[in-house]
Amino acid sequence: MTNTDRERHRERETAFYLFTQQRLPACKPVLTPAWVITIFLFTGFIFIPVGLVTLRASRSVVEIVERYDTECVPEPFRIDKVSYVQDDSIPKNCSLSLKVRKYMKAPIYIYYQLDNYYQNHRRYVKSRSDRQLLHGWKYHATSSCQPVEFNNNQPIVPCGLIAWSLFNDTFTFIRERAELKVNRKNIAWKSDRDHKFGKTVYPFNFQNGTLIGGGKLNPRIPLSDQEDLIVWMRTSALPSFRKLYGRIEEDLDADDVVVVHLMNNYNTYGFGGKKKLVLSTSSWLGGKNDFLGLACVFVGSSSVILAIVFMLLHLKSRR
Amino acid sequence: MSEVQCEQPNNSLYTFTGNLIMDNQTLPLSPNQILLRGCSLKNTEFIVGAVIFTGHETKVMMNSMNVPSKRSTLERKLDKLILTLFGTLFTMCLIGAIGSGVFIDRKYYFLGLGKSVEDQFNPNNRFLVALLTMLTLLTLYSTIIPISLYVSIEMIKFIQSTQFINKDLNMYHAETDTPALARTSNLNEELGQVEYIFSDKTGTLTRNLMEFFKCSIGGEIYGTGMTEIERGIAERRGIKVQEVQASNNPIREKGFNFDDVRLMRGAWRNEPNPDACKEFFRCLAICHTVLPEGDESPEKIKYQAASPDEAALVLAAKHFGFFFYRRTPTMIYVRESHVERMGKIQDVSYEILNVLEFNSTRKRQSVVCRYPDGRLVLYSKGADTVIYERLAGGSDALKNVTREHLEQFGSAGLRTLCLAYRDLAPDMYESWNEKFIQAKSSLRDREKKLDEVAELIEKDLILIGATAIEDKLQEGVPNCIETLSRAGIKIWVLTGDKMETAINIAYACNLLNNEMKQFIISSETDAIRAVEERGDQVEIAHFIKEEVKKQLKKCLDEAQQYFHTVSGPKLALIIDGKCLMYALDPSLRITLLTLSLNCSSVVCCRVSPLQKAQVTSLVKKGARKITLSIGDGANDVSMIQAAHIGVGISGLEGMQAVMASDFAVAQFRFLNDLLLVHGRWSYLRLCKVVMYFFYKNLTFTLTQFWFTFNTGFSGQRFYDDWFQSLYNVIFTALPVIMVGLFDKDVSSSLSKKYPELYKEGTRNMFFKWKVVAIWAFFAVYQSLVFFHFVTVSSSASQGSSGKMFGLWDVSTMAFTCVVVTVNLRLLMICNSITRWHYISVGGSILAWFLFIFIYSGIMTPHDRQENIFWVIYVLMSTPYFYITLLLVPVAALVGDFLYLGVQRWFFPYDYQIVQEIHKDEADDSGRSDLLEIGNQLTPDEARSYAISQLPREISKHTGFAFDSPGYESFFASQLGIYAPQKAWDVARRASMRSKPKTNKKN
Repeated sequence: MTNTDRERHRERETAFYLFTQQRLPACKPVLTPAWVITIFLFTGFIFIPVGLVTLRASRSVVEIVERYDTECVPEPFRIDKVSYVQDDSIPKNCSLSLKVRKYMKAPIYIYYQLDNYYQNHRRYVKSRSDRQLLHGWKYHATSSCQPVEFNNNQPIVPCGLIAWSLFNDTFTFIRERAELKVNRKNIAWKSDRDHKFGKTVYPFNFQNGTLIGGGKLNPRIPLSDQEDLIVWMRTSALPSFRKLYGRIEEDLDADDVVVVHLMNNYNTYGFGGKKKLVLSTSSWLGGKNDFLGLACVFVGSSSVILAIVFMLLHLKSRR
Repeated sequence: MSEVQCEQPNNSLYTFTGNLIMDNQTLPLSPNQILLRGCSLKNTEFIVGAVIFTGHETKVMMNSMNVPSKRSTLERKLDKLILTLFGTLFTMCLIGAIGSGVFIDRKYYFLGLGKSVEDQFNPNNRFLVALLTMLTLLTLYSTIIPISLYVSIEMIKFIQSTQFINKDLNMYHAETDTPALARTSNLNEELGQVEYIFSDKTGTLTRNLMEFFKCSIGGEIYGTGMTEIERGIAERRGIKVQEVQASNNPIREKGFNFDDVRLMRGAWRNEPNPDACKEFFRCLAICHTVLPEGDESPEKIKYQAASPDEAALVLAAKHFGFFFYRRTPTMIYVRESHVERMGKIQDVSYEILNVLEFNSTRKRQSVVCRYPDGRLVLYSKGADTVIYERLAGGSDALKNVTREHLEQFGSAGLRTLCLAYRDLAPDMYESWNEKFIQAKSSLRDREKKLDEVAELIEKDLILIGATAIEDKLQEGVPNCIETLSRAGIKIWVLTGDKMETAINIAYACNLLNNEMKQFIISSETDAIRAVEERGDQVEIAHFIKEEVKKQLKKCLDEAQQYFHTVSGPKLALIIDGKCLMYALDPSLRITLLTLSLNCSSVVCCRVSPLQKAQVTSLVKKGARKITLSIGDGANDVSMIQAAHIGVGISGLEGMQAVMASDFAVAQFRFLNDLLLVHGRWSYLRLCKVVMYFFYKNLTFTLTQFWFTFNTGFSGQRFYDDWFQSLYNVIFTALPVIMVGLFDKDVSSSLSKKYPELYKEGTRNMFFKWKVVAIWAFFAVYQSLVFFHFVTVSSSASQGSSGKMFGLWDVSTMAFTCVVVTVNLRLLMICNSITRWHYISVGGSILAWFLFIFIYSGIMTPHDRQENIFWVIYVLMSTPYFYITLLLVPVAALVGDFLYLGVQRWFFPYDYQIVQEIHKDEADDSGRSDLLEIGNQLTPDEARSYAISQLPREISKHTGFAFDSPGYESFFASQLGIYAPQKAWDVARRASMRSKPKTNKKN
């Protein structure tokens, strides 16, 4: 046994002794008033600046939100919107004009927002087959896709309720009679495009049934390039959600008027859902959402206030 | 051919009725003819007998009870908590189920609720939908039930008992090489909530070793020793105790612990009254029933006495130079030194004419002897009360001084006897002797007649002095008892010994003192004795019951009076077994319980093993307090089993008590460490562990619950399956075990220095519904923060690329926040944070990140949804992740932090106050172990102490106790009369039989 071994052995024995005699070295934090005040102040000093920076980023975002689900139904059909939207013979085009209040710097993101749409319903969430999306119709074990699994004994690619209910309103934007170019590439997360949707998988037997849920897919484009589908299939967390439609890569000036021509195809009338069109710039943090900033400022400032209250109490009645 | 007819097997040790039919003769059989199981007979070559009961039918075995399985109170309360959680689970599921039934509708066409939809979502049968959703939700919310809690608790308790209790050096008894032993790991935290301790006396509180300690001769106290209780009193008065320098070569022998040069080696000749000394020593040497054994030399002789008291007295005489070395039926031989002149040794033989035996009524014993020169002397020793009644008139000064000495001895916890003598005139003696012989040979009421005759001669006695024998206490017992009583624990002594002995030990242990109001309920009253003499069993029972009832009522009334006054004296109850038997009757039980719960100490004497158990269960079931029984012998087994916690004294006597116990310690004083340190810590730790488990599972499940409201009550999971499964197993498992093992609010020395801290356990301060409610409140708050902060803040696009998060991004974010927060919350409940806390908390959080990095980085080849694929990398590519991770845990914990701060500031627990008093002290690494209970008293304490020292009406406890197990029978056997051993001795002997030296081999 070498010296270091012996040393180590003794150390281990000492450690075990301290363990059994319950005397392990420990720090003993005692939450005295001084500590409470210090910690509150510290929290305040961290969170107020973070909150303000976050809030500033959120405030710098310019956002235009326009609800169009009711307006885009012609007056005579508004009594029965469902039959209007389901009737293929009626043209669905509709125009909106949006006024830009503030200068919007490119890229301007185009979102569609749906409300009361339960993309997180259990039956909906599970109704997909990630294997099939990656490997195509050769992959047969698609029972999870019920009830949109087969049509005429042919497998459906992509199967499942999610794909079946693909959002299919389309938007074109015109400013001063010139169409704004909308970039519809790179709207889905890269990991989805590259790893979850196959490059050699083409839509097959899709929307051929009696009931048609939503958008159709070009059978000649592989799924990994069908970015609308990929975006749609990253199901949302809450029943009110936005999804990215595309990017306008030109700046919009204040007081510009943008006319939107849209095809109002998608049925949200049956269940009272809303459809909105959102144009938004982006900061380093993301879209317009004051919540994080406000919450940080609130936590920070209430910490400081509590610290002050405690300090006064401490001065008034020393323990 | 003969036949025995007898009663059915029963558990009464004191009674037996039967007949022996032999040669057409019917002989009655009584307890006198019965030997109980476990007895060993001595000094006989053979016996002839018949076995009446064997095995489980023996009376001793009938006194034992079934081994109960014990669960701790905390665990039982935990069951209630779990039931509440089940209730909550059910309610949550019901809400979800109703919601799902209402929600489901064909209008949500994207859910594909066509004709062939399965029952789970079929809008045509909403009731079935609700029912099936209920089942789904049941599995979804099942995380609210902390299943791993039980495993963790078992693990923690196991380590606590095997590593901490069993290996604690403070509870290791070096002399017998006995460590403490936790025989079960179920009851660790129960040790932290004990309110009543039931203790056996012999072997537990005392060593069963009598030592001659002091004496008073002719108004002078001899003996320089100090009992523990005197030392304690002196310390409390702030007097420095100096060990009196012992003389150069003090004589030390087992049974003799006396040191005073004034009496040794003939020095008594120079004392003020050497004659009194001489009579004193002679009385010790002559007036006894001891048998010498072995070589007739002072070094080798062994005294066989029925009681160790007697042996101690004779031994004392030997050391004083009056060496009793031989006994014949009529003579006692004493080798006397220094009597006529210094250094002269002579053998003197005294003729023993009469022996007036000891019994519990007479409380004295006398011997009439004739000196070689014809002088007739009656030597008498006995209780001060009976001796003083029979003293001749005059010499009041001596009597008063001696009485003072007796009181002094008594309050020091010593057992006293008064010695007296009387010179008899020959003619007077002769006439008395005739009456004595007559009485002795009478067939009816012989004992009564003998007593009457004895009265005739035992009068006009001359007081010589008094002896004081120390019933050696176990080491540290008075201190331990004092500490325990400061901790709010009440100690009851349950003993088979006589009342005087029990009271004496209670004094010695600080359980009784003269300032206390003592209620004594005894069957040894004249009224009861008178009825007993009439011999009608039914009448006796009825009379005693009435008497006990009256007594109890009276005591209770008086007690309540004292209870209403503010500074009334403390109360004590002393009751003997016979009275207890009636007091335990269902009709009187409540009164007994009320009275005894109001008393700060209770002494039960002459109780049988079964009664010990009954008293224990009376308090356990009647008062619903947590009880602990401690004992060393077989007679304590049923009591040990009856209590919530049984503690056996290990190391010396037989193993029965240890085998029946839950914990075994070598010494009574180790209870201090066992309860105040280990018990308290275990309780605190387990409370924390339980509450923390409750909190973390509730928080986790509630986030899931809030999500359910946003999914159309469909039962969609918020978290991935793996997150949910591993949450309890990996991400939050280890740190809480660290708390269960290492958390210490105050160090062990402070726990013992402030025993009052223990009361937090008995009041169950840390596992009340209030505490549960507070934790639940913060769990709800935190879960709301988790769910809403994370979802609301993710409603816009994240990062500069404008892309949106999906369900799994949000849920992973939320889960990350939950894991981080819950682990940080753990650090907030810790009173001491060791390296292992950091490692486990850091490790848990790290484990989550490692897991998610790997889990979301790979695609599995199985058919499953790859929901989590790349999610964490997507999340971490956005600033949102970092800001949320900073904000949500702080926002969630700020409430808890505020609560903790305010609670400690304005409503501190006792332990928190102690923490702050000693917060600057180093941990108990060596130095603080030396912390003594100092004499620093606050002004308030000093004043209350001064008040307590004011003189009060003092009950005159003089400490008479002459305990003689089997004494009467032993004495009787000297006279050729057979008397049985008493049952309580039998029970005790049975427990001692593994002791090798009591088995004398012929």
